[in-house]
Amino acid sequence: MCTFLIKNGIKNFVGVPDSTLKNFIQEALDRKKIIITTREEEAIGIASGMLLADSPSLVFMQNAGFANSLSTITSLVQLYEFPLIFLIGWRGFQKNDAPEHKKIGKIQPKLLSSLDMDTKILNENNWKTACTWAVKKTHNGKSCALIIPREFVD
Amino acid sequence: MIRKDAIELCVNEIKNQPIISANGFISRDLFNVKDKNTNFYMIGSMGLASSIGLGIALKKPRKKIFVFDGDGNILMNLGSLVTIGSIAPKNLIHLVFDNSIHESTGGQPTATDTIEIEKIAKACNYKHIFKVSTKIQILKILRELKKYRGPILILIKIEKGKSIGNRINKKPKNIRQEFSKNL
Repeated sequence: MCTFLIKNGIKNFVGVPDSTLKNFIQEALDRKKIIITTREEEAIGIASGMLLADSPSLVFMQNAGFANSLSTITSLVQLYEFPLIFLIGWRGFQKNDAPEHKKIGKIQPKLLSSLDMDTKILNENNWKTACTWAVKKTHNGKSCALIIPREFVD
Repeated sequence: MIRKDAIELCVNEIKNQPIISANGFISRDLFNVKDKNTNFYMIGSMGLASSIGLGIALKKPRKKIFVFDGDGNILMNLGSLVTIGSIAPKNLIHLVFDNSIHESTGGQPTATDTIEIEKIAKACNYKHIFKVSTKIQILKILRELKKYRGPILILIKIEKGKSIGNRINKKPKNIRQEFSKNL
């Protein structure tokens, strides 16, 4: 998926690791297009700086980190209209996930809709069209979110 | 020296090179002292000016990128010092205007009267660190920047200000577009 996004013009992947996204992150590490940050807000700041320099960027994070980022999304990404793609791993998608993920996992769709952020939930069949959709959104100057549900509990 | 005077002095030296300014009175002072389309006023997203500066510095390696930060701001995003130090962009100049208070929110204390930001930056592998409090010291460093490789921290000890500058009256989207165009 990372390679597909690179082919579609995304140059930078900035974020905080999440086990749901580990294959994606490994791909970005192999391609040397990644910056791993200490916090999700920091990732959004760096990616916004890269967008100021006209370099298309994506931020990745777990939904717990997405919750950390709400103020940065409203007061930086949306306020200045940065065309940024969010890739978010969705913990708490399954009801038997670890307890710390349950509440945030449950309110995740509501958080996104409260933010008026356009979103696609990815699966094996739609991920390419969803990625193309997201890149097109950024060409139209919009931010958006791609969500990968955690389908397994380990 | 109050912040506004320190900012004015720095801007006059930096001229039309890109500046990313932290939210609160720092951005207001910069706007009121010298509004330019090479200034990116970060009016929200507390603490993130240095992160935005890092993103730009990595993509514009031939340009010097200046961050105008505050002590309260950098304390909210200390992780940024770790990321900047580990990537070590040569062209990032990080100025911190340090008055040991959150002046924008009413003057509540920060911890920088006892915890030294310059020591944290040193532990984070900043290449050059300066701690200054006079105009002559600031001018000397800014005029000799060519001698130093970044990331550079310039910690400027300032006093509490006496007045509040006007708010920035530009649309954030316009700030972004103008800044990008002139980068």
